[in-house]
Amino acid sequence: MLAEQICYIMEESPPKMLTILLTEGPYRSQYADMAYEIAKSALNKNYRVNLFLYMDATHIPKKEQNPNSFPNVAHKFRILLEKGANIKACVRCSTARGHSCAQDPYIKGVEIKTVYELAAWIGKSDQVINLGG
Amino acid sequence: MDSVLLIIDKAPYGWEDAFSGFYVAIACLNIGLPGDVLLTGDGVYAALEGQDSESNIGFPSVEELTYLIFPEGNVMVHGPSLESRGFTEEDLVESADLISDEDLYEILTSRHKTAFIRI
Repeated sequence: MLAEQICYIMEESPPKMLTILLTEGPYRSQYADMAYEIAKSALNKNYRVNLFLYMDATHIPKKEQNPNSFPNVAHKFRILLEKGANIKACVRCSTARGHSCAQDPYIKGVEIKTVYELAAWIGKSDQVINLGG
Repeated sequence: MDSVLLIIDKAPYGWEDAFSGFYVAIACLNIGLPGDVLLTGDGVYAALEGQDSESNIGFPSVEELTYLIFPEGNVMVHGPSLESRGFTEEDLVESADLISDEDLYEILTSRHKTAFIRI
């Protein structure tokens, strides 16, 4: 009976949405790793999770990264995509850094979009946090 | 969230952050989500009148972006940050509002569904 009530409540309440705005690139700081841990925890709590990559954060999902000394952040973000996170990179920022749409620069599932997508996510979100220096 | 407050505390040139922060606020306003900008610390330089970055360093004028926020959104300038850098309200663009520490406290404690984004 209790399980039925819980299921009913979960069906009636839409999942909450978390948007994470990342502005810092990988490796030089721990922000990308922190975003991964926060996003993973939120996904495990049934949040809908969005990550918007802005400015130097548009380096994070680049294909073919091969760090010698650190865990590969692109692999971590691939796990988030597999768990259902939405990840978008700012087109102005990514193009400025040489990651243009035409070159298919990112791991599969990362979209290159305008900052208007971030604005829309903010409007729909229950929580918004930003990580960056 | 029902509004957004972009907090910018870096100087407008030498960093991309102020430029990018204004872009987020402008995008929010353009889709109908109320958006304001708070300039504090070195961020107050973004609201000084008479910037000439385009001819000097080839960087777009952040001063012009302050006018794109107005009048739907507010460009708030933290007074103590401005004064400690040797400027007064007369040095600011017309669209800027000077706020005190008390005003800032009220803003931060009264907005319950605002996304506070520090860039």
